[in-house]
Amino acid sequence: MVDLTFLLLVIILVTFGLIVMFSASYANAYYYKGNSFHYITRQLFFAIIGIFALIFTANFDYHIWKKYALMIYFISIVFLVLVYTQPVINDARRWIFIGSLNFQPSEIAKFSIIILYAKIIERNKERMSTFLYGIWPFALILVLPCVLIIFEPHISATILIVGIAATMLFIGGLAWKWIVMALGGGTAVIILTRFIPPIYERFMSRFEIWQDPFKDPRGDGFQTIQSLYAIGSGGLFGAGIGNSKQKYLFLPEPQNDFVFAIGCEELGFIGAVIIIILFIMLIWRGFAIALKARDVFGSMLAVGLTIQVGLQAFLNIAVVTNTIPATGISLPFFSYGGTSLIMLLAQMGIVLNISRYSAIEKE
Amino acid sequence: MQKSPSVSMRKRITIMIVILIVCFGFVVRQLYTIQFIDGKMYTQRALSQQLKTTPITPNRGKIYDRNGNVLAESETVWNVLFSPADITDSEAKLLAQGMHEIFGIEEEVILKKASDKTKYYKEIKKRVSKEYADAAIKFAADNKIKGVYLQETTKRSYPYDTLASSVLGFVNAENKGAYGLEAYFNSTLSGIPGRVVTAKNAKGSEMSFRYQDVYNSQDGDSIVTTLDATVQQILERNLRSAVIEHGVKNRAAGIFMDIKNGEILAMVTMPDFNPNEPNKIADKEVQLRLDTQVTDIQEYNKLLLEAQFDQWNNKCISEPYEPGSVFKIVTLAAGLETGVINPSSTFFCPGYHMVGSVKKSCWKLTGHGAQILTQAVQNSCNPAFMMIGSKIGAEKFYDFFEAFGLTDTTGIPLPGEAESLYHSKKALMAPQDYENSLTSCAFGQTFKVTPIQLITAVAAACNGGYLYEPTLIKRVIDSHGNIVSENNPTPKRQVISEETSKLVCEMLENVVTEGSGKNAYVAGYRIGGKTGTSEKIDLENNTGKKEHILSFVGIAPMDDPQYACLVLLDEPSLTNAYGSTIAAPVVGAVLAETLPYLNVEKKFTEKELAKADIKVNNYIGFGPHAAKSSLQKSQLNGKVIGYGKEIIKQVPSAGTSVPRNGTVLLYTEETDENTMATVPDVRGKTGMEANKLIINSGLNIRVTGVNFDNEYAVAASQDIPAGKQVERGTVITVDFVDKNVATMWP
Repeated sequence: MVDLTFLLLVIILVTFGLIVMFSASYANAYYYKGNSFHYITRQLFFAIIGIFALIFTANFDYHIWKKYALMIYFISIVFLVLVYTQPVINDARRWIFIGSLNFQPSEIAKFSIIILYAKIIERNKERMSTFLYGIWPFALILVLPCVLIIFEPHISATILIVGIAATMLFIGGLAWKWIVMALGGGTAVIILTRFIPPIYERFMSRFEIWQDPFKDPRGDGFQTIQSLYAIGSGGLFGAGIGNSKQKYLFLPEPQNDFVFAIGCEELGFIGAVIIIILFIMLIWRGFAIALKARDVFGSMLAVGLTIQVGLQAFLNIAVVTNTIPATGISLPFFSYGGTSLIMLLAQMGIVLNISRYSAIEKE
Repeated sequence: MQKSPSVSMRKRITIMIVILIVCFGFVVRQLYTIQFIDGKMYTQRALSQQLKTTPITPNRGKIYDRNGNVLAESETVWNVLFSPADITDSEAKLLAQGMHEIFGIEEEVILKKASDKTKYYKEIKKRVSKEYADAAIKFAADNKIKGVYLQETTKRSYPYDTLASSVLGFVNAENKGAYGLEAYFNSTLSGIPGRVVTAKNAKGSEMSFRYQDVYNSQDGDSIVTTLDATVQQILERNLRSAVIEHGVKNRAAGIFMDIKNGEILAMVTMPDFNPNEPNKIADKEVQLRLDTQVTDIQEYNKLLLEAQFDQWNNKCISEPYEPGSVFKIVTLAAGLETGVINPSSTFFCPGYHMVGSVKKSCWKLTGHGAQILTQAVQNSCNPAFMMIGSKIGAEKFYDFFEAFGLTDTTGIPLPGEAESLYHSKKALMAPQDYENSLTSCAFGQTFKVTPIQLITAVAAACNGGYLYEPTLIKRVIDSHGNIVSENNPTPKRQVISEETSKLVCEMLENVVTEGSGKNAYVAGYRIGGKTGTSEKIDLENNTGKKEHILSFVGIAPMDDPQYACLVLLDEPSLTNAYGSTIAAPVVGAVLAETLPYLNVEKKFTEKELAKADIKVNNYIGFGPHAAKSSLQKSQLNGKVIGYGKEIIKQVPSAGTSVPRNGTVLLYTEETDENTMATVPDVRGKTGMEANKLIINSGLNIRVTGVNFDNEYAVAASQDIPAGKQVERGTVITVDFVDKNVATMWP
């Protein structure tokens, strides 16, 4: 039997996400697409496919992923290379277009790194404290995709992948000395960027806008300001579902990264906190599944997939609320995006599959 | 079997969960800050970009005359606008064609505006009436052109055009009062604007959802003035013709006042302007001079502006002038009140008066000889008034000057009332100047007052001694007709006693019946008055001759004085022109028309009765004999033409006023006989001559103006010009003036 709480949380989040995304996209869809239902019909379609994908992966022994982990990894590398042949959109090449289908190879890379890490952590479980087994193979796996993604450029995806990888290594039993060294190294890298003017300036301008978005209200601060207006207008209970005013073309692309802001405007502080609690519950449940998994691979896979959702949700909400400097990360289950929703649900299916095996073992 | 998750893993997962919860805690704390602490600020800023405020312009109140005639009102009009950002090129082309058809606007004009695609607000046509606005919207709807919309606004209109323009003033482009009552009562008239707040999207167009807040506007209050459109029309007509006839160079002013309460029935500055188009120079000569003589554009604009200010200026309140002999009323009243003179006081005028060592001439150099006070007033004798001034003394003279309100503005509710220029009490009493200024002041020279100040003082002298604040306002009513405030005139003070006032009135009546004011005589009414001819001492024209202001104040009816009418003509192009010859007839004509309209009862003397006009009855359908005898009974002659059984036509027609013993032609059949007569030229003829000429032409004569059996009466004008063919029996109205007044009284 699968973990019903986890399943229920996924279903609630998908439903919630669809409703909020529909409301947020309504005006934009009408104005730019001539049809208020443009985004919701597509997202609904992908959600249904995603549910089927979930059912499929939930019933599919997760060990298959261990078997093909390396192959998937290399396929993702191929895609990451292929992405450089694709057209530039918004100053970056992040998408691969196959017919009417499009997807981000970084998503596949993310998934492949999670399974490969889970596999290697399982294999090196007892030797994780050594550099040769605990650091070296993981660093090697990480470098190529990260470099390819950075030059797309897609910094946020890189941050996400590094964050997922670090969390998996941490939970996988990396020795504290390496952790301390990694933190020190990370700090050193940040300090080093101080002496690389292009990166430093880019960072500082982000930092300044973060500190005071009203410094450039029509330019870089615009989206943040509009987001703050939306959230601030929400108050305790919000304007009510469907009653956002900021979605009327004030907040750019409210169906994408900033969908949470419209959620805050319509559902208020209460609604926002409920969404956050739902995500925390999902993480807690995912980790619980990891702890009950019958092998380290299953456990680490559950950790990796769960932390992916958790990290993404946190980074997105933190950006939307201007808690951290802006970076482009979508909100799982909420933001518009077909292939990523399908992949997300399929991954949730894998977690459910892991929970199923643990349950069997218990009996 | 793989190893299951270890204890260390459980620990690290717990650490990870704690870290994540702490991270989310930061986010929740940030949410709290945004939604509660800064929530109001963000909400406000959000609203300011989300909401569109459309003002609702309140209706500006109306201005009525005392009888409810509308002098100024606001009509609702529409601005037709469109949003270039919301229409395509082909729609713009179609729109341009349509707007050309509806408004006659050149298509390029619209196309040019439409090309500015970043704009959401461009005017097609401003201030159009509803039918045009509807036509434009219908066109847009029929052709499915989005983004054409209307904006409601108001336009001020003055139905009587030029009537009372200097009093009413006008509103500027922002619908704010710029001059006159419109400016003075702007806050009363304008009301409180309202607004409609609707939600809009970031592109500026209104949104499909239901957010709308309406704050109603409050319409302005209306003002019921004391003006009487009819009296105003009469005064304006007479001043207009006087200005043209006498070539008045510096405009004429006239005020018609109810002296019992200070209410102004008419106030005129002539030439005037049309408040419907206030910037247009109404005086064609001035415009022509500007157009032909000024080539420099800056100079042109400067002069144009000056000309505009000139025409907007209300002469009655803003231009102090030397009142001349009209002021003698005040000196007279002060003298009588202080008791230094009485009606039988005698004065000897040798043609001059010695003030210290200075010889000051009378206007009549040969002198008036011995005269009692009544005669001195009739004669407007300067030495007599110098003597009266000296008798009153500088201190008391000043006190009366002040008591009559001449040192203060009157407080008339109009913007721009000027202050008078006068000798201070100290200056008037100064020993080195003793009596010099005083004696000049006594006959109205060496100081300046505004026409409104003067008529207010005259009113006090004639109404029993009560000084009123001149007013233009009867009441203020709100947009539903409820009275907001009512103006109840109360006298400021009593300046002279009722007895003194009565004496003043008697003497002023004498001026019209016997003296210099004869030209203001109106048969059937007891009229008093005083002439004034003042030199503009401070101005000399280019020939070295001093310009004059001719004025006259008339008061009626003298048995119970109620109305005063002051007229002054500034710089007439005449030599040897006097208030008595030029201004008095104007006042006479105004009173002759206004008094019957104001229901002042006619009281004929027997002598007047003998000459009173008779209204002709209708005789059409009567038998010739019956008609003739009926005419005889009403002291008219009937002349039957033809041999028919009954009258088929009569000249003059029924209702016409015909002088006693006039002839009415009664036609009993169509006749080949020449029924037309040529109007003779009687101008300059005496009464007898004029009468004879007109009767002999087969016409009737009706006489206005001075007593025409007066040997000095000459016909000044006739209502039908000489040489014109009219039907026999037609009444020719001839206006007589006393030509001798000019030599007898200035």
